[in-house]
Amino acid sequence: MTRQRRKKIHYGDTHLKKKWRTKRRTKDLDEINEDIKAKNCEQLLNQEIDYDKPGSAQFYCVHCARYFINEQALKEHFRTKVHKRRLKALETEPYTIEESERAACIGSWVEPQKRKIETQKPLETSEPNKKKIRTE
Amino acid sequence: MRIETCYFCSSKIYPGHGIQFVRNDCKIFKFCRSKCHAAFKKKKNPRKVRWTKAYRKTVGKELAVDPSFEFEKRRNLPVKYSRETWAKTIEAMKKVENIKQKRTGAYVMQRLRKAREIEQERDIKEVQRDLALIKSPAAGLKQKQTEEQLQDEKQSDEEMEIVEDGGEVTL
Repeated sequence: MTRQRRKKIHYGDTHLKKKWRTKRRTKDLDEINEDIKAKNCEQLLNQEIDYDKPGSAQFYCVHCARYFINEQALKEHFRTKVHKRRLKALETEPYTIEESERAACIGSWVEPQKRKIETQKPLETSEPNKKKIRTE
Repeated sequence: MRIETCYFCSSKIYPGHGIQFVRNDCKIFKFCRSKCHAAFKKKKNPRKVRWTKAYRKTVGKELAVDPSFEFEKRRNLPVKYSRETWAKTIEAMKKVENIKQKRTGAYVMQRLRKAREIEQERDIKEVQRDLALIKSPAAGLKQKQTEEQLQDEKQSDEEMEIVEDGGEVTL
């Protein structure tokens, strides 16, 4: 019998591995970039009632791609650091596959543009009214 | 045979190398090695990671915009095969590659030359500002003071002598 390793080198690594599993994958920035566009944004904000999702999919933050249980939770989320950080990250155009090719000298390099991004607040105010209509 | 480019570091991927990830919106991400794949899983931004091509181009370390880069491109247009065009393109590729290398090399050299100028300027500024570290501005002052002190002592000695002489006279 060979000697076995005494020290456990990868002890406690599991939570990180689990985090990076494809099963737990969250939306990438370039996917969110598509969601922000007016047409997709409207669809995401006015979703049909789905009881499997938190808050029946009625309170959604487009920028963070997250569902919240009620309006208060959503509004509180808008004030958090996580949300603000995400807005900041979205200010420059996200990295894409095309850009990776341009970086490899396949076509000229295009500088990523900067833009202003704001929370979806005005859309949110109109949402509860719609929900009421639905419940009626 | 197709040589792909890595999503993260933009290096070449030869057949039989690397790994690819297909996202649930059908986009295919190709990685040259596990290093790039792991960085992608950690959601690192290639523009901010120093060893990627994307970083080097955003920061301006490499030639980024040039007409010589326009030859190699994904065009998605089928071209009918003929031996003549094949031979021509092969020759053109060599020439384009030569020009590319020359231009990228020239760009880097230009940057290096400019850096030397900036370095010299910075050095001169540093010397002027921090000369006090080598030679104290008070160095001259101290010398003067000691000289003055010596002179004072001499004068006072002379006076003392006179006084002493006077004393003797009185005795």
